[in-house]
Amino acid sequence: MRQGDAIARSWLLWSAVAGCLAACLVASPTSAAPPEGRFEVQPADTSGLLRLGKQKGYRIALYMPNDRVVIFYALRSARSEGGLYSLTYSVYAVRNRGDLERGVVRARFGSLGSVSLRFRPSGRIRTHEPQPGCEGSSETTEYGRFLGHLDFRGKGDYFHVSSAKGEASIARFPRLRCERGEALESEPRSLRKNVAPRPLFRDDDSIALLYSSTRRHGRYAGITAMHPEGSPPGADVELGVVEPRRGMAIGHGVYLEGSRGTLLTSLPGAHPATATLAPPAPFYGEGVYSEQSGAWTGTLGVRLAGLNLPLTGPGFHVHLCVASPLRDRDGCDFFQAEPPSFERLGRPGWALR
Amino acid sequence: MRTRQAAVAALALAAFSCLPASAVAAPGHDRAPVKQWIDIDLDGTNGYSIHVSVNPRRHLILQVTKEEFSAEYMTRDVLADTDRVKAKLRGLGAISVRFHPRGPVRHPSLPGCSKKRPRLQPGVVRGTIRFVAEREYTQVSVSEAEAAIEEPASWFCRYGVKFEPNPRERDWVSKFSARGEGVYLLARKYRPGAVDGGQVLYWAETGEAFEAASGRAPLTIYRHVRVPAHVSTFRDAHPEHLTVSPPPPFTGTGALTRTPESVFRWRGDLSVQFPGLDSIPLTGPSFESDYCLREVGCFRQSVDHH
Repeated sequence: MRQGDAIARSWLLWSAVAGCLAACLVASPTSAAPPEGRFEVQPADTSGLLRLGKQKGYRIALYMPNDRVVIFYALRSARSEGGLYSLTYSVYAVRNRGDLERGVVRARFGSLGSVSLRFRPSGRIRTHEPQPGCEGSSETTEYGRFLGHLDFRGKGDYFHVSSAKGEASIARFPRLRCERGEALESEPRSLRKNVAPRPLFRDDDSIALLYSSTRRHGRYAGITAMHPEGSPPGADVELGVVEPRRGMAIGHGVYLEGSRGTLLTSLPGAHPATATLAPPAPFYGEGVYSEQSGAWTGTLGVRLAGLNLPLTGPGFHVHLCVASPLRDRDGCDFFQAEPPSFERLGRPGWALR
Repeated sequence: MRTRQAAVAALALAAFSCLPASAVAAPGHDRAPVKQWIDIDLDGTNGYSIHVSVNPRRHLILQVTKEEFSAEYMTRDVLADTDRVKAKLRGLGAISVRFHPRGPVRHPSLPGCSKKRPRLQPGVVRGTIRFVAEREYTQVSVSEAEAAIEEPASWFCRYGVKFEPNPRERDWVSKFSARGEGVYLLARKYRPGAVDGGQVLYWAETGEAFEAASGRAPLTIYRHVRVPAHVSTFRDAHPEHLTVSPPPPFTGTGALTRTPESVFRWRGDLSVQFPGLDSIPLTGPSFESDYCLREVGCFRQSVDHH
């Protein structure tokens, strides 16, 4: 688990899906190479959160995962009449030019806005003992509010937040001495890593999986649709978009459970293989893949906060995996070469056969 | 009101044979469990054999068998006496008899039970036994019948029950099952010569529980059929596509096919005919299906509740 999750979790828990996302965001104990010996150090860190309410169905917050990064979060979860979940988010990450340790947050979101805030504690403090396997001072969470200037306009004025009103907290994580493997991983300091999409749905039991991605002008977009073995008609769909701006990283994403007709593929062994992807809103249209031509065509696109993004075209790399649950327990019927992108959404570990 | 619930029947069967007496005893019926079984053998009409047994927890099971078909009608004996039985079979009859010993006590040996020998008191029951199965597929009405009271040495070493599973039936190479509400189909394919009568065995089961205001089913009926068949009736060369067309009492064909949605659909006109019942469909979207290859594994297609 990451240190900032104490705050992030409290904010994300207002929906089960968001909670699930948080579970995905947490990492295993530190992956950084621990020092030789029985112990390792969990470095001190600070994180902060300011809840800014709701706009256009999105829950909005300002989140500081550490003293170096400020993220404007907008997250919307819904459940369809059929009980299917969807989660949509947009995040904007920039550097904090203030000192979070002293309760100061100062950042510019380019043309989208800026914040200049100072934390005023209310006096309410909660402490938490170090996690099992670690020794040191208690973690403290201080509650209060932020005062100062906040102005943020989403792309195309999709959001407009001009007030810093809302519940706020700052959590301080002291330096801990931990048994080897017990220290928590620090929140990433890279802006890009803070907005990069992470897989929410399991794909290791999928028997039909389509992955399409592109990287153009620095923007990465990847969509995955998968049908888990034995599940009812429909497919789980994940979309991740990452784009760098000057001094800012922007991420958009969608996780949804698609109903019947979302992903149709040819059967295992059928060549040329084909697939049609037609997920529900916020997606529109459909994408069609043909193994014969290698083309990914159609009208498929997605509408996100202030963003209308086509998701087909010649610039996309496509994987299609159609597996037999008994014949190809560990592999696909066929699997094209992976795209040259390091930002795959943690996609399939299926062996090439 | 009747509901068809295979699971209910199976659970009832388990409850009848496994649960502590206190777990199933009705208020006012608390009593120390006895260790005796009463077994009564009867001949039903139309070639059916009927066996009535009352277990130490005073559950009465009336079993009807003929060739590959069997049915169990389960209810409660309302008397606490070990030598008397009194039970109603809700619309199908009633049993009210007293046991009279006849002849010396025996201790027959049972294969597979080493030195554990039951105590068997032969005799007769006298009174009323009246049973008319659904649509009169069989019936019996007698005032006296041969019977025995048995004190078995263990649950598995009982003289009154002829249960001889064929261990070779566990050595299937592939199998398919479909489970609907109150009905279950199982088909197993074997290597040539592994089982008698064919290379495929088909089972169908259905259960019915009658609801009562007390919450306890006053009568549970469990029906079962098992038929061997030729290998050509079970076509599963391609695991994405399976077809079964078992012999009577089954009719029609069931097919499991993978759709472009990667969903395995179980469709067709396959049905089974149990004595005394209308034909029961064994396919449809409400069935959960499983297919297994012994050397590879299984997959299960769940029902779409959306």
